[in-house]
Amino acid sequence: MNGNSTSSDWDGRYFHVDQILDKPGPRTDPSFLAGDGVKDFLRNQCKILVIGAGGLGCEILANLALSGFKDIHVIDMDTIDISNLNRQFLFRQKDVGKPKATVAAEFIMNRVPGVQVTPYYGKIQDKDEDYYMQFNLVVCGLDSVEARRWINATLVNMVDPENPESLKPLIDGGTEGFKGQARVILPTVSSCYECSLDMLNKPTAFPICTIANTPRLPEHCIEWASVLEWPRVFGDKKLDTDDPEHIGWLFNHALKRAKEFKIEGVTWSLTQGVVKNIIPAIASTNAIIAASCCNEAFKIATSSAAYLNNYFMLIGTDGVYSYTFEHEQRKDCPVCGGESLDISIKKDWTVERLIEMLVEKQDIQIKKPSLSTPTKQIYLQAPPQLEQATRPNLEKKVSELVEDGGDITVTAASLPFNLSLRIKYI
Amino acid sequence: MAQPDSQEIGDATTAVHSQPDSKTRRYDRQLRLWAASGQSALESSRTLVISASATSTSILKNLVLPGIGHFTLLDADAVSPADAGNNFFLNGYSSIGKNKAEEAVPLLTELNESVDGKAEVKPIDEVLQTDEGRNWVKSFSLVIAHNLSQDTLDTLSKLLWDGLGNPPLIVVRSAGFLADFFIQFHEQCIIEPHSETFPSLRLTRPFPALAEWANSTDYDKLDPTEHAHIPFPIILVKATEKWKAEHDGQLPKVYAEKQAFKAAIRDLQKKMDEENFDEAEAQAWRISGEVPVPSEIKSLFALTPLVPASSSSSTNGSSVSEQSNAAFHTLLQTLKLFVESPEGPGCLPLTSTLPDMHTDTESYVRLQRMYKEQAGKEAALFKKILKANFPDTPVDDGMVDLFVKNTHHVNVLRGKRWGAWEEDKSAVASSLESDPRETATHLALSALSNLQSKGIDVTADALRADILTRLPPNTELPEEMTNAVGELERSPTADVPNTAAFLGGMIAQEAIKMITKQYVPVKGYCVVDLVESWTGVVGA
Repeated sequence: MNGNSTSSDWDGRYFHVDQILDKPGPRTDPSFLAGDGVKDFLRNQCKILVIGAGGLGCEILANLALSGFKDIHVIDMDTIDISNLNRQFLFRQKDVGKPKATVAAEFIMNRVPGVQVTPYYGKIQDKDEDYYMQFNLVVCGLDSVEARRWINATLVNMVDPENPESLKPLIDGGTEGFKGQARVILPTVSSCYECSLDMLNKPTAFPICTIANTPRLPEHCIEWASVLEWPRVFGDKKLDTDDPEHIGWLFNHALKRAKEFKIEGVTWSLTQGVVKNIIPAIASTNAIIAASCCNEAFKIATSSAAYLNNYFMLIGTDGVYSYTFEHEQRKDCPVCGGESLDISIKKDWTVERLIEMLVEKQDIQIKKPSLSTPTKQIYLQAPPQLEQATRPNLEKKVSELVEDGGDITVTAASLPFNLSLRIKYI
Repeated sequence: MAQPDSQEIGDATTAVHSQPDSKTRRYDRQLRLWAASGQSALESSRTLVISASATSTSILKNLVLPGIGHFTLLDADAVSPADAGNNFFLNGYSSIGKNKAEEAVPLLTELNESVDGKAEVKPIDEVLQTDEGRNWVKSFSLVIAHNLSQDTLDTLSKLLWDGLGNPPLIVVRSAGFLADFFIQFHEQCIIEPHSETFPSLRLTRPFPALAEWANSTDYDKLDPTEHAHIPFPIILVKATEKWKAEHDGQLPKVYAEKQAFKAAIRDLQKKMDEENFDEAEAQAWRISGEVPVPSEIKSLFALTPLVPASSSSSTNGSSVSEQSNAAFHTLLQTLKLFVESPEGPGCLPLTSTLPDMHTDTESYVRLQRMYKEQAGKEAALFKKILKANFPDTPVDDGMVDLFVKNTHHVNVLRGKRWGAWEEDKSAVASSLESDPRETATHLALSALSNLQSKGIDVTADALRADILTRLPPNTELPEEMTNAVGELERSPTADVPNTAAFLGGMIAQEAIKMITKQYVPVKGYCVVDLVESWTGVVGA
C-alpha cells in the first residue's frame, strides 16, 4: 500500500490488522513472511469463497472484508425471510423476498470500500470443479448437512497430489442456540466432514405407528397432519413449509386431532417448528462461530499464526465451555479414507434388512440407497422400471448375492459420492 | 383423489388461529430459546457501553438484533483512520474526524427499529467525577466496558460494586489474538435455567394417585396389548415397591443390586419386543437418582439473602434486580419450609412435564393429567406456605409459578468484585500452576493495561516485570507466559476484526444470560486465545 488516502483506501486503514502482519508472534511458523508480501497476498491476490449468506454468512462476509480480503465470492440459494432479521444483520425489512447473496454482497461493498463481493444466487451444485478451483479458501456457513457433504466430497475429490494448488482448505461453522462449532478441514490431509458424521445429533424421528395410532405429544399430531393427512387430502400437491396457508392448514388439522385425543400444546409456532425442523438461532452465537471461522481463514491465508487443528466446539448454556481438539481422520471414511467400510451382517439377512440398517446408520446417513456389486445390480430406487426389475431382490438373502468379503457399492440421490461396503458375514 | 383448490386451504386457515404477528415472526428463532419472558426482560433492559471500539459495536450489534430496550454508547473521541478501517459500524473513510459514538449509533439502531439507541459524547473519567454522572451510570441495568484504562476501570468497578442494586459490569480487555472478560455482579438468581435433565418423577415416593394406579395394575390380568402399553413410571413404581418390601424398605444401592433390580424388570416382559419394559429398564437409574432435595438445591437453602427480606417490601431505593433477587430468596425460604412441611410431600414440588414414553394415548394423557393435578395441588400448598410465612412480601404470581416449576434446577450465583481475585497473590500463583495458559494470558493482559495506563512502552521485559509484581516473590513464569507476553508485545493496541467479532458474540451471550436470568453466565475471568482457538476460565 502506498500513502494515498482515498475513500476506498486510506493511510492507517489497516493499523490494527497490520500489527499482526508486520511481526511474528512467539508461536508463529518461521515460514511467515511478515510485512508487504503477506499484505499483498491477502489484499490483492487471495480469492475466497463463502458458502451461505445466512446467519453465519452475513457475519463471515463482514469479518473477511474488515480483515482485508478483497476478492470475496458468496453463494446462497435462499431469499430473505422476516425470521432472518433477528440475526442476519445485512438484511432489513425492505429486503424480505430478495436473494440473500445479492443483498449481502451489496451491503458489504457499500460499507467496506474497495472490497469486491461477487454473489451467486443459486445452488452450490450448479457449479463445477473449475469454479471451485479458482479459490484459495472456502468458508462454509450452512445449515444443511446435505450441502456440507456435497462441498466436502467435491473438495476432497478435487485434490490432485501433483498439484498443491488443488487442495482448498475448507472452514466449516455451525450453530444451534447457544452452542456451535468451527473446524478446519484440509481435504485428504485431515479429518473431513464425512469423517465426523456420527457426531451429529440424531434427528428426532417419530415411529409411524405412534403418529397413526397412539399420539401422545403435540408433535405427534403435527406429524400426523403433515405426513399422513396432507397427502391423503391433497394427493401429490407438494407441502410448502414456507407458505403460511399450508402451515395454517396443518396447524388446524393437528389441533383438531389433538383435541380429539385430549393432547395439549399444539401451537402455530410448534407446528412450524416441527414441519420445518427449525433450529433456534441467535446473533451472538453466530458471531462467535463466524469469527472463529474467519480467524482461521485469516491465519491460513497469512500464516500469521498456526491455524486450528482442527475442531473448536462451544457450549454457552452453562457458563462458557469450549473444547478444542483434533478430530481424527477415519481410515474407512467413504470420502477421504480410501478404504471400504466393513459391514458385518448375519448370513440370513435380506437385502431389505441391510437397507434398513444402512438408513439407520448414524455414520452414513442416507435416505434411499441403491445397491449394486461390481457385476450386478442388487436394488435400484430409480428409475421405476429398474426399481421394479430389482424389487424381487429385496427379499433375497444378501449372502445369496454377495460372497463373504465382497463389495457392495451404495449410491443415493442425497449422497455426493459412491460408498463402498465390504460385506462380512457373522 | 379430488384436488381441492387453494381456496379451500385459505378457508381452513382463517379459522380461529392464524400466523403470528410480525414481531413474533421476526424473533421466532430466539423465542424458541428464551420465550416471551426472556424477550420482555431484554426489552426492558438498558445497557451502557463505554468506548465505541470495534469490539464494543460488535457487542451492541448482537444485543440490538435480539431487541434490547435501550443502549447508550459513550465515547468522546473522534474517529481515527484506524477506527474507520476496523469498525463495521462506521461509514468508512467519511466517518473520519467525526465523533465515534455519534457515527456508530445510527448504524446500530438501523438494525432493529424497536431498539432505542443514544450516543453520549463525554469522556468517562469526567462522568465519574460528578454525583450526577455516577448516578447516571448506576441507572442502567448493565454496563459494559472495553479496554478502559486501569484507573478508570478501578473507579468504575468500585462505584458499581458499592451497592447491591447497582448494575452488573462486564469488563472486556483485548489485544490482537488475546482477550479476557469478567462479569462483576453481587448475585444472579436463575429462575429458568433450561436444564437438559428431567426433574424427578417421584417414582420412589409416589403421590397417592400414582401409587393407586401402580397398585391397581395387575400384570396377569392385562391383555397383551395393554401389557405392552403400561407406562414405564407405573412399572418402576411397582418394581420399587416390590424391591423395598423384599429389602427392608431399602432401595437398590450398590451395583449388583441395581443390576438385580433391572433384571427383575426384564423378567416381567411377556414378549421380547415390549418396548415399555425396555424403557423401564433403561430408566431404572431414576430410582437411585431420586433424592428428596438435590444437594445443589440444599446448598441454596443455606444462603443468607444479601438483602434482608423485610427491606424488599419497601420499594424505596431498591432496584428492580434487588427486588427480584429478594423475592427469589423469599421463594427459596418458602421452598425449604415446603420440604419440611408435614402437609407436603417431603421433597421438592412435583413438576408436571413428562417425557414421552411407549404407551397408548389414553394412558399417557391420564398420567399427564395425574401429574398436572398433583403439581397443581403442591403449587397451591407452596403458595399457602408463602402467604402464611411472608405475608408482607408481595411476590408476583407469575414468578411464583415459574419458580415452583423449576425448583429442581434453580440456581444462585454469587460474584466477585473486579480485581478481588488478584489481591490474593498465592491464589493467582496456584492458578498459574494448575491453569498456566489461561492464568498467564490473564496476567499478561493486566500487565498490558497497567503499562498502557502509565504510558510505559510495551516490551516483553516490561510486561514480565509487571507480571512478577502480581505474584508471590520468586515465582517462576511458565512457558505459556512467553506465548502470552510475546503476542501482546506484537500487537498491544490491535482491536482486530475477528477478535472483536468473537468477543462481540461472547459478551452479548453473557449479557443476554444476565438480563434474561435463564441461562448460567460465566463466573471468573473467561480467557480467550485465538492463536490456538481456545477459551478457559480462571479465578471463579
